[in-house]
Amino acid sequence: MSGLFSLVRASAMASKEVRHILRDPFTLGLAIGLPVLLVVFFGAAIDFNVKDIVTVIHDADRSRPSREFAEVFAASGYFRLEGPRPGDGILSRLDAEEAGAALIIPPGFASGLRSGQGAAAQFVLDGADNARAAAILSYLPGVLASANQRVLPLSGAMPEALSPASSLEGGLRLKTRFLYNHELNSRWFTIPGLSVMVLGLLAILLTALTVAREWENGSMELLLSTPVTPLEIIAGKLAPYLALSAAAMALLYLTARLGFSVPFRGSHLLFAGVSLMFLLASLSQGLLISVATRQQQLAMQLSMMTGLLPSLLLSGFIFPVESMPVFFRCFTMLLPPRWFMTACRGIFLKGAGPVELAVPLLALGLLSALLIAAAANRFKRDLEP
Amino acid sequence: MRRVLLAFLAKELSQALRDPRMRALLFIAPILQITLFGCAISTEIRNIRLASFHAPDDAEARRLTERFLSSGWFLPVPAQGSDPASLIDAGAADAVLAFPAGGLTRAMGRGEGEVQLLVEATNATKARAVEAYARSILGAAGPPRSGPGIGLDVRVLYNPSMESSAFMVPGVMGMIICLVTIVLTSMSLAREKETGTFETIIAAPLGVGEILLGKTVPFVLLGLADCVLVLLAGTALFSVPSRGPLWMLALASGVFVATTVSVGTLISTIARNQSQAMLGSFMFLFPANLLSGIMFPVENMPIAVRWVAYLDPLKYFVTLVRNIMLKGGDPWVFASNVAVLVVMAAGTAGLSYIRFRRTLE
Repeated sequence: MSGLFSLVRASAMASKEVRHILRDPFTLGLAIGLPVLLVVFFGAAIDFNVKDIVTVIHDADRSRPSREFAEVFAASGYFRLEGPRPGDGILSRLDAEEAGAALIIPPGFASGLRSGQGAAAQFVLDGADNARAAAILSYLPGVLASANQRVLPLSGAMPEALSPASSLEGGLRLKTRFLYNHELNSRWFTIPGLSVMVLGLLAILLTALTVAREWENGSMELLLSTPVTPLEIIAGKLAPYLALSAAAMALLYLTARLGFSVPFRGSHLLFAGVSLMFLLASLSQGLLISVATRQQQLAMQLSMMTGLLPSLLLSGFIFPVESMPVFFRCFTMLLPPRWFMTACRGIFLKGAGPVELAVPLLALGLLSALLIAAAANRFKRDLEP
Repeated sequence: MRRVLLAFLAKELSQALRDPRMRALLFIAPILQITLFGCAISTEIRNIRLASFHAPDDAEARRLTERFLSSGWFLPVPAQGSDPASLIDAGAADAVLAFPAGGLTRAMGRGEGEVQLLVEATNATKARAVEAYARSILGAAGPPRSGPGIGLDVRVLYNPSMESSAFMVPGVMGMIICLVTIVLTSMSLAREKETGTFETIIAAPLGVGEILLGKTVPFVLLGLADCVLVLLAGTALFSVPSRGPLWMLALASGVFVATTVSVGTLISTIARNQSQAMLGSFMFLFPANLLSGIMFPVENMPIAVRWVAYLDPLKYFVTLVRNIMLKGGDPWVFASNVAVLVVMAAGTAGLSYIRFRRTLE
């Protein structure tokens, strides 16, 4: 036996693994095609805006201003006003999941406005559904401003009391400029985000079974009787899957650019480098799981647990990492997708260079090295009698 | 019930629980996960790094910046350099306030105060939230309006303080249960096929239906045990209210677990080996989680996608659990969603029975 690592033995190991992959066209096809399919499907589907929320209207005032007020809500496009079910409470339709909000205009609405004392309507929101509630809450200030503008002149209030929308903010006007995504096109951030999640999970799954399968089928003993060393086995197992997932990544890149015209402002070389490092980290995570469990069912359970939900919920795709409590913000640093998400958005939309991405690059490199070392170490311990 | 079948059930159950690591994954990992996600995730955007470019003697600009910082959403970062956009480019700030040349105090004296807000918009939803915050802060910053206009008294029902654990816990509970049961069942038959023990089972004096029962009932039991654990952890740690009757929650969980176990079994009967089973589960789990309505609203998706979402058992379960726990359980919502899940469970179970019998012939 010569040396700890020989390229010849490692590539022999890799070519064995390649044949293994090619023998199962179903798996191969899914590994390449599934990411694109999922990203296209969800890229087209995901829309964070909420429209036509069924809103129960209860107008106890029945005056012209109150009708106009309700009309502003309907005209905004966010709300679809419907009456309550006859003979039922106003809020019972919220209980029954038929409506997402309710608008209640109390009696005396018009007279309050006319007298100059002001009037308040009540807006009730279904807080059980976070996705919807958060969106509705952000629409309300705008709708209210245009309601004030339209309803106040009708109410017969004193002209001085009117507060047109421009001076609503006390003489201050806000002009917002959204950098990197001027029109807030949500595709531009869902497509890279989805790619990160799909590919990261797939990479973990691809390697998670490889070593465990050899143990289960008994071919590991065979492999160990050859002069191949643990590090060579690991390298030979990683390389083919790195190539496979890199192909999937390239396909996803083309889909994003050609299918969804997501802009790409950074360097392709940098993107390729970061992608490879991310894939390597995820593949190593899968391999470590595989080496540690030695059993396919266990390996898969563990990789889904550490892969699927954390990358959906903690990678910063939808729920920003910066909003998390400090401890959990530190915890997310252990997740490769969290770093790649930052890097991807930076390269695609901001044109970030290696200096701006130094931290994600370093973190991904460190994670890969640690995971590979842990897998090799674990493997060695397994082999000792 | 026949004794052979009982013995088979016992064998399957003990096989699933034999490995202490599997026991840990089945019973401890879900509790850890619900704790983790319940604590970490909030839909409220916070800690937005804000830089404010203004001259030191610009009192109005300083006052406005103070308002932004005291709102609790923003963190101050020093305004270095002269170009506001470069701070965002360098990744040092998420938002920058830029005031008119000559200072906001003087501009407001002329009655034309315009404040510019630059927002880093690589995350579009976050950018939108930052702008909404800024608008509400500016709205409150001006002098009190002379004539009172229309006020809006907003009340968030069922979850008045918008406590994110209240909707995350039911959602994440569904995700975890779905994941555990799908993976467990989809791998089980596939493993028997791969290791060759499948023939032994066929040779046992058991009917096709009985083999399937033996392969599913233990996992339904394990899934239900997980439901109880996650629910207990969720209500104990996060004080999520449970307003509806317990039997509704139990029935909903039972039907949901039966559905996911059937889906897992269907994947298992189709897959030839464990890696195919794994990819099959991935193909189911990823869309199921995204379409469940936990991460983004489903109502506004294109009609074709909505039809796919209607096939997502997780969506019905999340609706059910949220309705029961937070709203006390509306009988019609309960009945209709449970009915859909029952139909799904029966449909997938029937399909897997047919597929399974065909593989045997």
